[in-house]
Amino acid sequence: MNQNIWVLMTGDSVALATTLILAALGALFTERSGVLNLGVEGVLLTAAISSFIAADSSGSVWVGLIVGSLAGALLAGIHAILAVVLRANQIVSGLALVIFGTGLANYLGKPYEGKTISVKLTDMTFGPLTDIPLLGPILFEQDIITYVALAAAVLSSLYLFRTRPGLEVRATGDDPATVDAQGLMVSTIRIRYTLFGGLLMGLGGSWLMLAESAAWHQAATTNGVGWIALALVVFASWRPIRLVLGAVLFGFTLQLPYTLQAENITFIPQAFLQMVPYVATLISLIALSRPGSTNALGAPKSLGVPFVRDER
Amino acid sequence: MTSSTYEGAQGPHHASGAAPVALEAIGVVKRFPGVLANDDVNFDIRVGEVHTLLGENGAGKSTLASMLCGLYQPDAGRILRNGAPIQLSSPRAGLQHGIAMVHQHFRLVDRFTVAENVVLGSRGLSFKLNRAELNDAVAAVADTYGLPVDPTATVGDLSVGQRQRVEIVKALYQGAEILLLDEPTAVLVPAEVEKLFENVHAMTKTGKSVVFISHKLGEVARISDRVTVLRNGRVTGHVSSKGQADAKELARLMVGRDIDLAAQRASHPIGHEVLQIREVSLVANGVNVLSNISFNVHEGEMVGIAGVAGNGQRELADVIAGLLSPTSGTISIGGAMSTDRGPIASRELGLAYVPEDRLGVGLVPSMSILDNLLLTRDRNVVVDRASVRPEANRLIDEFEIKANGPEHLARKLSGGNAQKVLLARELSGGRTATKLLVVCSPTRGLDVGAIETVRRLLDDARSAGQAILLISEDLDEIMSLADRVLVIYRGAIVHETPGATASLEQVGAAMAGLSQAGGA
Amino acid sequence: MRAPFRLQFEQRTETPRRLGVLVPLISVLAALFAGALFLLATGHSVGDTYSNMLSDGFFSSTGITDTLGLSTVLICTGIAAAFAFQMNLYNIGGEGQLYVGMIGATWFGLFFGENLPSFIMIPLVLIGGALCGAAWIAIPAWVRARLGTSEIVTTLLLTYVAASLVNHFIYRSGSYFRAPNSMFPQGRQVPDSAMLSPIGDTKMYPTFFVIVLLSLALHWVVRRTEFGYRIQVISDSPRAARYAGISARRTTVQVMLISGGLAGLGGATLIVGSFQRLDPGIVTLGYGYAGIVIAALARNNMAAVVVSGILFAGLRSGGDKLQISTDTPIHIGVMLQGAILLFALGGEAFRRYKIRIVRTPAVVSEATA
Repeated sequence: MNQNIWVLMTGDSVALATTLILAALGALFTERSGVLNLGVEGVLLTAAISSFIAADSSGSVWVGLIVGSLAGALLAGIHAILAVVLRANQIVSGLALVIFGTGLANYLGKPYEGKTISVKLTDMTFGPLTDIPLLGPILFEQDIITYVALAAAVLSSLYLFRTRPGLEVRATGDDPATVDAQGLMVSTIRIRYTLFGGLLMGLGGSWLMLAESAAWHQAATTNGVGWIALALVVFASWRPIRLVLGAVLFGFTLQLPYTLQAENITFIPQAFLQMVPYVATLISLIALSRPGSTNALGAPKSLGVPFVRDER
Repeated sequence: MTSSTYEGAQGPHHASGAAPVALEAIGVVKRFPGVLANDDVNFDIRVGEVHTLLGENGAGKSTLASMLCGLYQPDAGRILRNGAPIQLSSPRAGLQHGIAMVHQHFRLVDRFTVAENVVLGSRGLSFKLNRAELNDAVAAVADTYGLPVDPTATVGDLSVGQRQRVEIVKALYQGAEILLLDEPTAVLVPAEVEKLFENVHAMTKTGKSVVFISHKLGEVARISDRVTVLRNGRVTGHVSSKGQADAKELARLMVGRDIDLAAQRASHPIGHEVLQIREVSLVANGVNVLSNISFNVHEGEMVGIAGVAGNGQRELADVIAGLLSPTSGTISIGGAMSTDRGPIASRELGLAYVPEDRLGVGLVPSMSILDNLLLTRDRNVVVDRASVRPEANRLIDEFEIKANGPEHLARKLSGGNAQKVLLARELSGGRTATKLLVVCSPTRGLDVGAIETVRRLLDDARSAGQAILLISEDLDEIMSLADRVLVIYRGAIVHETPGATASLEQVGAAMAGLSQAGGA
Repeated sequence: MRAPFRLQFEQRTETPRRLGVLVPLISVLAALFAGALFLLATGHSVGDTYSNMLSDGFFSSTGITDTLGLSTVLICTGIAAAFAFQMNLYNIGGEGQLYVGMIGATWFGLFFGENLPSFIMIPLVLIGGALCGAAWIAIPAWVRARLGTSEIVTTLLLTYVAASLVNHFIYRSGSYFRAPNSMFPQGRQVPDSAMLSPIGDTKMYPTFFVIVLLSLALHWVVRRTEFGYRIQVISDSPRAARYAGISARRTTVQVMLISGGLAGLGGATLIVGSFQRLDPGIVTLGYGYAGIVIAALARNNMAAVVVSGILFAGLRSGGDKLQISTDTPIHIGVMLQGAILLFALGGEAFRRYKIRIVRTPAVVSEATA
């Protein structure tokens, strides 16, 4: 077996994992505050097309990334209004967001069907560091957003467990009544983190477009990555560091079909290879279930439950 | 009843007269849809004083306290702090004025540590959390008032009494000068109640003020400097004889008429054994939830199981009802084994079960009374509602349930009426007539009228020959109703005594785990 | 910084019945209004778009029959979603169960169709498709009941697996489902005995009436039978269900299997009806997801799903034809569906809570020390 291909593949997995990490971090923050946003897939798509259009018309990748992130936050904002202000059913709201976001993205992307983007995000190079055997290409040949994603995960971990606002958001997800009794505004906290989560998801979607795909092919652009991101949060027990590990693992499975094809291993039908990420996610979800509650281990206790102050 | 005297707060002004008024409510009014909770209420608390708000459930004392701490806002009237009028728009505002309330249902995040709970939301908390510093700070406050807590312990692991202490430390840490304690002794054993009173004493000595909210006459008399009694939202009287408040006088003010505090105990002939529990144990997650429980209940007998919440009562009730399988031991109803056969089998043998939670367990909130009557009955493949309707109407009349007929939704019933529906259903049985009624905390949260009705219903059922197992955290209730009193502590029966000759001291001690091997 | 007003939510004890109809109605109107604004902003004609959509969807003879024909599968996926959702079981994998239902129905058709007459084949294909749909949800159902695994993600993941399956069965050369002798990959047509003829020269098939009757029958089951009673108890109060000796676990599996089966049935109706073959294009149509929107708008009421399903079919049908008649992208239809749902969700808040605007009292004056 050619050792280099595995190194390359791991490097590519880390890259693919970027979208997963960003989208999942976004979902993690949202859920830590107690809001379940299932609309990740729709947010990713909307952000992707927005970043495409913005980057293509402005000629700048950075404009694309910013616009895409903001688009993500905006869409998440709809969910925030429904879920937090109006206390709607968060599951149905998230699904509506997927449908609406997918439709919106396709609508906006119609003129760009099949087009390739004019600018692309390039890998950063760290000179001699990339020559380190094994780790070199994996760690030191990624583009900047990948590094941002990894850094974001580390910072998120510190934020959640070592700071006051981190304490507050974790409390809001577990026991909003207590947070409310302490005089903190539950709704404000939840809206804030839902929007921030959307921003991160948007960044992930933009990256997918600008660094990986480079061409708009409707919904196939994301192909279920949003749902895997949601499962990833569960897999990571809502902890950012574990999330990175899971993301690389799942990135691996997403990369598998292409690597095997490159290695000319063709006895496994393409279709079945494509199933691997989803089946792997499914199995790990099942393995992490906790009988007796529909929230997996480590879940914020009030996840998905609208908070209504008991005003008699 | 008890002989201990209580030395009340002696603030710095005790010789010359009253201490200054720390907090005062004048002419305060609060309305909720359909009810006037507080009607022109005056109330004040002085520095270093313990002032109790006494009243039955629904009298308006919690409402008044909620307004004093900022949880609710009065519809009319004024609130003065140290003589100056203030607006309390939220509990946070209340805290800014040094007023904090410790609720009956604790507001604590189970997953966090004690220290994290105490500092959550406190002003001046730094962005970066320095755990060691915070732990020390919390410990310091706790020690000042003799409230030992471990700042690093996870709240979810603590007992109820310990959690209450955390709540008090939280209030003190966040700068409360005036503490409002809502029904604090409801969840404590007599020994823990003593400890609480000591802590309150330590607090008032340093100038803190404590407002006790309670419906328990006995304790109130001992701890308070002053007592204000509320009934139906109005103040019916003040009593300010420290430690010497007359229980009868207080009761009259609370209820509006003389009530007989002495237990009424007629003798009842008892018949065959209906329930036999033999050496029942239940182990869950490595914990001995129930240990070797054995007792029996006869026709026409009411056996009461007393104990502080959380000592296995729920599990015991569930095991008897067939909802849980014991790890070992047997249960037989009416002579037939019911262990491990499930709740439906138990019901077929004549068991009826009124659970602690009326709405949500005993009754389905979104269903009508009629549909709820069908809940524990046999149902055909096509549910026949028409045939149950006449019975539903009959039960509504017989039990005097205030509702608009059988289609009335359960969640719209008052607590008392919901309880009546439950009792009506359980006493009337299904295919098999009810032989054994297991009832848990039947009068919790009910107003005095409803409490009397429910107790009368239970008493009547007993007189009619029903075997009744009464599991309650209300010691007074058990002492006044039960023919035999058993005490459960940490899942084991630690004391047994006939109701008529039961000694409050012994029972209380047993509830706290201080008994010798139970003797009658 | 404190807002001068705040919203106060009071849970209603009484929900006025008229709101139950009014809210969905207003949501549709609100979404159409928002859609109009959006069309204007993106430079498309509102008048043309809407009038074409409405006439092509409802107000023409071909329009209405096309709509009713399309609604057959949509009502199916709608009741599939509604049946599970009413018990808070979020089966959002109806899309995948529909695919597998199609695969199964096609297989039954191809395997038995040559030798058996129509009056046996049609029911066989329909039931076969339903069973396959149920099989596809079996694992998520089981793990949800036994282990508490969230059915939301499990059913969704299997949808992607199902899509891969469809592709595999069509694109794999020599596949049983693939039409032999054809230039580019497409599905093999089922034998005549497994096909129904449309009603007259419309695109409606007799299956429409079967599905409508099925919906009404399920409505009756939920309201009047022991099974429905159990569902109501568990969905309101799982602890009361345990108290009453009702096994939530068993009912969960039963409800989910039925839900999956209904979605599979939807796929099967396509085989005996308009598709007649396993068509890989099915993965672009989103019938399963549409079912979720339909169910939500109908508030999980089986009978209301019929109305909601027809409404959505009209929107889609009219929307699809826009491609030909105007230059508005057809995706406006999908967007409108999502928008209607979003507005309906918002409207729910008004139905469940009495919302009042409360003036927050003046800022607290600092206590004199």
